[in-house]
Amino acid sequence: MNKVNPYIILSMRIITGMVFIIASYDKLLDPEQFSRDISNYHFIPFGLENIVAIVLPWIELFIGLGLIFGIMIDGSALISGILLIMFNFLVIQAMLRGFNIECGCGLKEGEMIGFQKLAENFTLLFISFMIFSSKVRIFEFYPKLPLSK
Amino acid sequence: MNLRNQLIFLTIIPSTISLLFNLFNSDGLSLIAIPIEKIKSHSDLLRSSNVSGIREIDISMAIELHEKKTLFVDARSEEYLSDGIIPGAIFNDDIDSLIIQIENRIGSDSLFIVYCSDDDCGSSEDLAYELQDFGFTNILVFSGGWKLWTDSGREIQAYE
Repeated sequence: MNKVNPYIILSMRIITGMVFIIASYDKLLDPEQFSRDISNYHFIPFGLENIVAIVLPWIELFIGLGLIFGIMIDGSALISGILLIMFNFLVIQAMLRGFNIECGCGLKEGEMIGFQKLAENFTLLFISFMIFSSKVRIFEFYPKLPLSK
Repeated sequence: MNLRNQLIFLTIIPSTISLLFNLFNSDGLSLIAIPIEKIKSHSDLLRSSNVSGIREIDISMAIELHEKKTLFVDARSEEYLSDGIIPGAIFNDDIDSLIIQIENRIGSDSLFIVYCSDDDCGSSEDLAYELQDFGFTNILVFSGGWKLWTDSGREIQAYE
């Protein structure tokens, strides 16, 4: 990925970072609603949706800020990719089980799960992969590449 | 800082902050979600001392309360209402108008029932909590909702 213009990678970081920060905002303000949104997927057992609803928005906020401000870009991009794979898995299993539920993504009120959501997530997943793979970066402040041992 | 340490930092630090923030937040959540109390009979309903005011009922209780002319509120999206609604149910996708409708019909302390498409839809629970935030104190969520109602061969009403 060294051939990709570093300004394109910077734009990708800002877009992905903004998406995660915006997504975290409503969830931070109303974790109870987010917990119910998670619960609607009928996937997380033992009432653990509350813990996920408490912790996940803060992780999203940190990786969003990391991507935008050039701090721990590799870690942020990798966690972003892992989260997006998890989100897609949840959406796919809910679609296969015939659930007609709100996505709870925090980006648009009332947004339902479906192919459009999957397409958005796969696009962000690809962008996260591009960021993670890029080795020529600008506005990266900590740690500087190459990764220190 | 190598990748492993970055991953540790980006998961442990926000997790710790979030748990501390939740601990000291007056509106913080319990770490384990507490399921809504299930009401199986009329005596359960009378005995129930649930402080949240939101409880869950099954089809038999829904039928019983419908026969007693309890108000039903449809929480589905309008596009699904072409199939019909539970007779006597009200629907309004504008929350302020819905609140006025409910208050005009039964006030804010009387029992009413919220339902959506089926067991998995979640919008009935969301609406119930939203209405609770507006001061309604006695809300039942009909789990199974429209699907269970129609599957049990109950009468339906066209939505106009």
